[in-house]
Amino acid sequence: MSEIQLDSDLHYKQESVLKQRKTSSERWRRIKRNKLLYLMILPGALYFIIFKYVPMYGLVIAFQDYKPYKGISGSEWVGFEHFTTLFNDPQFWQIFANTLILFGMNLLFFFPIPIILALMLNEVRHSLYKRTIQTLVYIPHFMSWVIIVSISFVMLTLDGGLINDLIVWMGFEKINFLLSQEWFRPMYVLQVIWREAGWGTIIYLAAIASIDPQLYEAARMDGASRLRQIWHITLPSIRNVIVLLLILKIGDILELGFEHVYLLLNSVNREVAEIFDTFVYTAALKNGQFSYGTAVGFFKSFVGLIMVIAANKLAKKFGDEGLY
Amino acid sequence: MNKVKKILTPICVLALSVGLFAGCQSNTQEADPPPKESGKENTKKENNEEKVKDPISITIMAPLKEPESPPDLLLNEIEKLTNTELEYQFFPDENYEEKLNTSLATESFPQVVYLKNANSFLLFKEAIRDEQFWELGPYLSEFKNLSSLKETTLNNTKVDGKLYSLYVGRPLSRAGVIYRQDWADNLGIDSPTDVDELFEMFRAFTEDDPDGNGLDDTFGLTDRNDLVYGAFKAVASWHGAPNNWGEKDGQLLPQFMFDEYIDAMDYMKKVHEAGYMNQDFPVTSKSDQRNLFYNGTAGVYIGTMSDVSTINNETTKNFPDAVMDVQNYIEGPHGEFGTWSAPGYGNLVLFPKSSVKSEEELKDILGFFDKMMTPEVSTLMYWGIEGEHYEVKDGKASAFADKKDQIKREVKAFKDSVIGEVQTSGRLDGFYELPARIKAEELILDNNDYLIFDPAAALDSDTYAEKGSRLLDSINDATYNYILGEIDRAGFDQVVENWKNNGGNDIIKEINEAWDAIN
Amino acid sequence: MVEDKKLGSRLFHITNYTLLGIIGLITILPFIHIIAGSFTTTAELARKPFVLIPTDWSLDAYRFVFSTDTIFRGLANSIGITLFGTLFSMFISCLMAYGLSRRDLDGRNVIMFFVVFTMLFSGGMIPTFLVVKQLGLIDSYLALIIPYTINAFNMIILKSFFQNLPEGLEESAKIDGCTDFGIFFRIVLPLSMPVLATISLFYAVTYWNTYLPAILYLNDSDKWPVQVILRQIVVLATGLNVDDSGFEDSAPPSQAVKMAVIVIATLPVLLVYPFLQKHFAKGAFVGSIKG
Repeated sequence: MSEIQLDSDLHYKQESVLKQRKTSSERWRRIKRNKLLYLMILPGALYFIIFKYVPMYGLVIAFQDYKPYKGISGSEWVGFEHFTTLFNDPQFWQIFANTLILFGMNLLFFFPIPIILALMLNEVRHSLYKRTIQTLVYIPHFMSWVIIVSISFVMLTLDGGLINDLIVWMGFEKINFLLSQEWFRPMYVLQVIWREAGWGTIIYLAAIASIDPQLYEAARMDGASRLRQIWHITLPSIRNVIVLLLILKIGDILELGFEHVYLLLNSVNREVAEIFDTFVYTAALKNGQFSYGTAVGFFKSFVGLIMVIAANKLAKKFGDEGLY
Repeated sequence: MNKVKKILTPICVLALSVGLFAGCQSNTQEADPPPKESGKENTKKENNEEKVKDPISITIMAPLKEPESPPDLLLNEIEKLTNTELEYQFFPDENYEEKLNTSLATESFPQVVYLKNANSFLLFKEAIRDEQFWELGPYLSEFKNLSSLKETTLNNTKVDGKLYSLYVGRPLSRAGVIYRQDWADNLGIDSPTDVDELFEMFRAFTEDDPDGNGLDDTFGLTDRNDLVYGAFKAVASWHGAPNNWGEKDGQLLPQFMFDEYIDAMDYMKKVHEAGYMNQDFPVTSKSDQRNLFYNGTAGVYIGTMSDVSTINNETTKNFPDAVMDVQNYIEGPHGEFGTWSAPGYGNLVLFPKSSVKSEEELKDILGFFDKMMTPEVSTLMYWGIEGEHYEVKDGKASAFADKKDQIKREVKAFKDSVIGEVQTSGRLDGFYELPARIKAEELILDNNDYLIFDPAAALDSDTYAEKGSRLLDSINDATYNYILGEIDRAGFDQVVENWKNNGGNDIIKEINEAWDAIN
Repeated sequence: MVEDKKLGSRLFHITNYTLLGIIGLITILPFIHIIAGSFTTTAELARKPFVLIPTDWSLDAYRFVFSTDTIFRGLANSIGITLFGTLFSMFISCLMAYGLSRRDLDGRNVIMFFVVFTMLFSGGMIPTFLVVKQLGLIDSYLALIIPYTINAFNMIILKSFFQNLPEGLEESAKIDGCTDFGIFFRIVLPLSMPVLATISLFYAVTYWNTYLPAILYLNDSDKWPVQVILRQIVVLATGLNVDDSGFEDSAPPSQAVKMAVIVIATLPVLLVYPFLQKHFAKGAFVGSIKG
C-alpha cells in the first residue's frame, strides 16, 4: 500500500514539476507578449521608486536620536526607545482611543453620505437642477479648514453667535458648543460632512455613469420601481467602487486631518480632541523631536498597513476585487 | 524688473505647458540678471569716489508677516546705500519653522538666516552648540555700530556665554489697557489705577449701559486665546506674579507655583464668572477679539498699547464719536505695580558656516549689517523713502496716513528685519497725531521703570528644550480651565504636580543649576 | 395600481428634489457669506459677523487686491502648474493604471501592493527635499509637479475603472491586430470618459491647492502659486499664529480682503466644473460594445 502510494506520489511529483516547467515557460511567453504593458507601467514605477521609495530611508530616524544638523548618518541609534516612550506615555491610550472614536464616527456617519447623495442626484431628471445642486454641494471642498472653523466660531460662540441667539430666542439655555467635550465630536463630524460630502459624490457619480443603461430599461419593462432599481441595479454596479474606497479609507484609520482637529482643539476639549497628529505636531515642530514624531508616524502607518491587508483579504473573501 | 517678470510669467507658464521637461528655471534665471546689473551700475555711480570694493552679494532668508514679498523699490535703495547686491528670500511666517528645519537638515541655508522668534531660537541652540553657525563675539568690536547693540539683550541671546546672533530690537514692555474713554466719561469713571478700579470699569461697562442705547448689549473686557500677549500675563504681573520664572526661598521656580499667579487666575475667573468679558475667550482669535471692540460690544482691551491707533481707526468707522484712552499703571492688590519685560528682541539673525565659507566673507556680511545700523539705512528700512512713505515732522518720522496699504506692501517686510532699535541705530522715532497714541508711546517708556525681568531668559534646560512646550500646554490648559471654573485649586495643584513628575522637576533642577553657575 | 405607482413615483421625486434643494442651500450659505463679505466694508463685518446681503456695498477689498500684480502672477502660476501638471499626471497615471488593470499581467498584485504601501509609509519631508534638490528641481516650477506626478489613490481608482470594462473588448481588438497601446488609446480611454473627467478634476484641484511644496521648493516668491498668497492673507487676517512680537500698528489684512482673495482663488476651479460635468454623465458604453 505504501509502495503504491509512493509510486503515485512520485508520479504526481513528476507531473507537477512538468506542469511547473510548462507554466513557467508559459509565464515567460506571457511576460514577453505583454512587454508593451510593462513599458506603460515603467514611468509610473520609476516615479514611485524615485520619489517614494528612495526617500523612505528617512524612516530610520524613528530608531535614532535624530538631529537635523548631524544628518541621518551622524545621528545616534536608539533602537525602539521612542516606541517604548510612546507606549508608556500616560496619554497614549487616550489618544489612541480618541483617534479610533473619531475614525469610527467618520466611517459610520460620513462615509455613506456621499453614496446616498450621489444616488439622490442620479434620480434627478431635470438636468439644470441636477447640475446646479451638484455644483453647489461641491463648493465647500474649496474652503480651507481655517475658514470653516472661523465661520463655525462666528455661528456658535456664546458672545453673540447666531445659533446661540436662536436657541435663546426659542427659550432655551445657551449651549457652550466650543468649550465642551461633548460637542467636539459631533462638531468635527458635521464639519467633515459639510465640507466633503458633495465632493465625495463625484467618484460615485462617475461609477453610476458607467452603468449600462440597458439594465435599467430591462428593469423598467419588468415594472420595477425607482427604489427597486436603485437597490438591484445601481448599488450592485457601484459596489466595487464602494468597497475600494472603503478599504482605502480603512487604511487611513489614524489619519483624520491634522489641521482641522488642531484648529478645533482647545483647553477644555483636549481630553477628547487630542489625536496622534496634534500630539506629534507639538513634539516635532515645537520641541524639535523629529525622531519621536517619525516614530509615532511609523506606528500610525503600521496600524494602517495591517488594517488595509485585513480589509483587502476580507473583500476578496466576499468575492470583490480588492486592492491588489 | 517687475515689468519684465510680468511679461515673463505668462511666457514661462506657456513654456511649461508646451515643453514637457524643458524647465522654466533657466528662463527665469536668464531674465534675472539684467535688472541686477542695472542696479550694480547705479551703485557704482553712487560710490564713484570710494570705488574701493565691488558690491558684495548677500542672500538673506527671512520670515514674511505680510501677504506678499515687497517689490524691489526699497531693496534698490538699500543696495545703493550699502554697496551690496541683496537677494531677500521671504517665506511665509506660518510655515517658516518647516523651512528652517528642512534647510538646516539639508544644508541649504543662504548666507544670512533670520529665525522666526524666541522659540525657534530655542530649537536652534543645539545646532549652534554644534558650531553650525559663526560665533560673532570676537568680531563685533570691529564694527562701530554693531558694537553699540544693547548688552542686556545680547546677553539674552547668548549660547553658553558666546554670541552667535544679531537681534531685531523690540521695546521691553508695551503692555497696558486700552479703553473707550467716551464710555467712561458717560458713566463718570476715571482712568483705572488699580485692579479693583479696573474691575469696577468692567462691571460698569457691562451693567450700566455705557453707550446709552438702553440695551444690555455691552461688556467690559475682550480677550483672546493667548495667555502671554492677551490679558492674562499683564494681569498676572500687576498682581506681582513673576515673569515666567521667579525667585522663592533662594531658588528659581516657574511662575505658576507662585500665589500671585493664582491671585491673577482668581481675578480673571471673577471677571469671567460675572460675565464682564467674552465667555469664549479661550477660543477667540485675535480678529474676533478685536471685532468685539470695533463693534461696540466691549470697551476694554488689554495688550500692546501701541495698537491703539489701529483700534481707534477701526472703532471710529462704526462709532465716529468713540474716543480711546490708554493706561499702563494698574496697581495690584498690595499697592505695587509691575509689568513683565520681553527679552528685548523679536527675532535673531544667524550666519551658517555651510554657506558663509570664510572669515572674510563673514566680515563683509557683518559690514552690511553694520551699515544697516546707521541712521540713514535704518530709517530707510524702518520707515521707507522720505516723501514717498513718510515725512519728517519735529525731527520724527510721520508715516503718510493715506498710504497705509502701500507702506505695508513696500516697507513692512524690511521693517521687520531691522537690527537694533531707535536708541542704538539712531533711526527716526515715530511722530503721531492721535493723542492716545502719543500717550501710549510715553507709557511704554514709563513701563521701563517697573519691569519684571525673566531671570531664566538666558538659562538653558535640556529637558525644557525637549518637552517644555508640551508640558507648558498642560499648565496653560489648567490655567484656562481654572478661569472658566472647570477645575478648582486642588485640580490646578494636581496639574502642577503632574507637570513636576513628568519632567518639571528636572527642568527646575537644570534651570537652577544654570542659574547658580552664573551667580 | 398604476395610479398608485405614479403617486409613489411623484412623492419620491418631490421628496428627493426638496431634500437636495435644502442640502444645496446649506452648503452654499457660508460661501454666499464670503462673497457678500468681500463686497462690504470692514466696519460692517465687525458689526455683523455673518453677512449674507451687504448693506454697505464696497469694492475696496477688490481694489486693494488688484492694486498690484501679485495676485495675477499667482493666478498665472497656478493656472500653468495646474494645466501642465494635470496633463502630465493623467498621462503617466493612465498608462500605469491601464497596465495594472490587465488581469493577464504577471506581477501586477506585487506592484499594486508596493503602490498601496506608499500611501501608508512615507520617508518624510527632509529626504524628499534631498531628492528634489539632487534632481536640480529647486526653485523650478517642475518641483511642484514632478514629485507629485502620481497620486496613488487616483491611480487605483483609474485602474479599478479600467478593470471593469468588459474583458471581451481587448480580445476582439487584439484579433483585429491592435497593440496594447492601440487598445489603450482607441478603446479604453474613449470608453472611460466619466472616470477620466473625475480623476482629471482630482488632479487639477490638487495642483490648484498646492501650497507647502511651493514654500519648501521655491525661493523666488515671484513663482508662488495663488494659494500661498491666499493662505498668508487668511492666516494673518484671522490672527492665527500671531506671537505679537512684531512692531506696533501692524494692522492685519482686513476681513473683506480675506474674503475677496478666497473668492478670487476659488472661482477658477469652480468654473472648470461645469465643463467637466457633462463628461460625468456620459456613459459611452452602449453604442460601442452592444450596439
